[in-house]
Amino acid sequence: MASFTPYTYIQCPCQESTSQGRPADDAPSPTSQDQPDDDDDHTFDPRAPRSNYSLYPLEYLLYCDVCHQIRCPRCVAEELVTVYCPNCLFEVGSSSLKTEGNRCTRSCFQCPICIGPLAVQSLESAPDPSLLTAESASAAPPAGPWILACSYCNWNSSEIGVKFDKPQGIFSQLSKLRHGEDHHSKHSTSSGDISPTKKSDATAPETAKARFAAMKAFYNAQNNNASPAGGAGLAGLGGDYGFSSPGALSRIMNLYSGGATGGGGMGSGLKAKPKSSVMREADAANEGFRASDLDEGAAVSKLRKEGWDGTVTREQAGAQTEEGARFADELWPIPYLLRAKRSKRCPVCRHIISKPESKVGNTRWRIRLVANNSIPSITVKPLNHSSTLLRPLQPVQYLLTFKNPVFEEIKVTLATPATTPGRFASKVTVLCPQFTIDANTDTDMYLDDVLKDGAKDGRRRGDEGTHQAEAGKIWERGRNWVSIVVEVVPASLRIEEPPALLKKEGDPEPDLSPLKEDEDVLEIPMFVRLEWEGDASQDQVGTTAGKEKDTREKRELAYWCAIGIGRISQE
Amino acid sequence: MSKRQSILPRVQSGPKAPVNFSSSIIISDSALLTGNHTINISSESVVHPRAKLDSSNGRITIGRRCIVHERTSIGAVSADPKPSESRDGVVISDYATVEVGAVIESGGTMIGEGCVVGIGCKIGKGAKLGKHCTLTPQSVIQPWEVVPDFTVVYSNGTRRLDKRGVADLKHKAQARQIEVLRKLIPSNPAKFQG
Repeated sequence: MASFTPYTYIQCPCQESTSQGRPADDAPSPTSQDQPDDDDDHTFDPRAPRSNYSLYPLEYLLYCDVCHQIRCPRCVAEELVTVYCPNCLFEVGSSSLKTEGNRCTRSCFQCPICIGPLAVQSLESAPDPSLLTAESASAAPPAGPWILACSYCNWNSSEIGVKFDKPQGIFSQLSKLRHGEDHHSKHSTSSGDISPTKKSDATAPETAKARFAAMKAFYNAQNNNASPAGGAGLAGLGGDYGFSSPGALSRIMNLYSGGATGGGGMGSGLKAKPKSSVMREADAANEGFRASDLDEGAAVSKLRKEGWDGTVTREQAGAQTEEGARFADELWPIPYLLRAKRSKRCPVCRHIISKPESKVGNTRWRIRLVANNSIPSITVKPLNHSSTLLRPLQPVQYLLTFKNPVFEEIKVTLATPATTPGRFASKVTVLCPQFTIDANTDTDMYLDDVLKDGAKDGRRRGDEGTHQAEAGKIWERGRNWVSIVVEVVPASLRIEEPPALLKKEGDPEPDLSPLKEDEDVLEIPMFVRLEWEGDASQDQVGTTAGKEKDTREKRELAYWCAIGIGRISQE
Repeated sequence: MSKRQSILPRVQSGPKAPVNFSSSIIISDSALLTGNHTINISSESVVHPRAKLDSSNGRITIGRRCIVHERTSIGAVSADPKPSESRDGVVISDYATVEVGAVIESGGTMIGEGCVVGIGCKIGKGAKLGKHCTLTPQSVIQPWEVVPDFTVVYSNGTRRLDKRGVADLKHKAQARQIEVLRKLIPSNPAKFQG
């Protein structure tokens, strides 16, 4: 509570523009893309619940250098580059992804207890005492049976009675063990009743997936049988409208066609028609039906025997690939979930703004346009006072330092509301709301600049006592940075009824609830508008790069940011 | 090329502890053994360099084929004021491993056979670990706690039972590791016995 680090969060402009499509006129560059006027009226409130979702630290933001706009993780369009297993770093092709699912099908498993990685180990019989020396032990090939073991929590697969014949192809061995397709597999004999998917019926599908497939096949067959005439053609339609029951469908068909075909004198075609047979529901195991086991006696006695430790936690059950595990010995190793590397495109111009190297082992980026390189960073520092809690109603000054990363001179215009939004309105004054920051220079001049800066620094320190914050003047200027002074008068956090004199008719009832979380943080919404001259963009179709090489054009960028200054003390 | 000496002052060690070593132990001469009570180390146990054994609050007993890693602090003073009835400070049973940086407080503390005390663990005064317990790194055992046999303490104090039944294998691996350490660590028990 006592410590507070000043912060700057930037709001991505995607928050304001509700229509995020490509501009209709396809302008060469959307520099003069003016915001709708009604947007200018209301100031941005960093405390609004929605603001949480649009404020990002500068490091999280990308920048499209074609649209000249900030792009946040929410508004970029993502594309898969590579899908890989995070454990074995093996790249998975998109075709096998479709057939085999989003889990690693090599021997990568996570511990069902602690999600640590599992290793294949041999459960070798005790070696002879003569083999105890290190050389002979490593020379002797370890023999099976093999188990999956977690080196962290010491779980191993023999606890659920799973042992493997060979150390390769664990995934297929495990799925055979689990789903019982292989009768030769070495299912553990020690714990017979433990396995939840013990085969009871030779033809019954065991997995949820297989049951679903069987049930689907069964009901499809039922559908076709029940409505042989018009049902087949209308099956898709029936499904769309929820008339998936063939009985209902044929009744509806009868309503329309019955009169014409039946033509009976009974007056109603419905009655004349023989009632179509009611669709049979699935009732056998091979149709995907599984009777719910209402006899919980076994589970209850097991619970009594093994206690709390024998049950699974919610996280453990959720991490399982198949649901329904209730006891710790029903937990199976989890094949690793695959991960993807994604490239990011600008949602407006479709240019790639971030693209990772497609090799799995390589963590570098081919393209990465971070906002850090395009818009100035803002740092907050207290001026002439230590940065502890802010005293209510005592003006304090803060230094905002803007550092320019681009190679052009930037004109900055700042705007803040006079008081911060929220229940406790602190007064905010930006002493110098308009200034220019010099261009970031090339690195070969860097040393020179550092030396110059250093000299200036020394001089400044000399006359620090007389240095005063003046309205309209910047505080300090460096090679590519400018600091300005912001004066804040923190509000009092006392919650009291507003004086009756000032109360007007129709005023909303004042909020007298106690201090909410982080309501004591003084946060300034600040509108930053940047203006600079850049090279005309060459990316557009129809521009010949050679001819217009040195055309300059004016660019601007404007965004809101929220600057956290400090906490106001509450006494 | 001269050997670079540490500029830090030498660790202020207390009184030289009376020791009772088996002849087959491996103890590095940069281990720190202090205190007034006896430090017993049984056969084939290994004490790594810079392990600190402090017997000023009670006797320290280390069983057979134990491995005490670097920067461990065995027999540390407890913040718990409750006095211990036991005359033993710390008892580490056979085949136990105390990994790097672990702290075992003194005062009737008992580490069971085949236990693995993970990196940076803290075992409070008077705690009793059963046989073949495993403490994963950075686990904390409170003073006077009793941990049953075969417990695995992991993930911020979650516990489960180790059902592997590999105690024999672990013993063999421990013996093998000690064989390797015998070649790696120059032993100098005479320094402490003199």
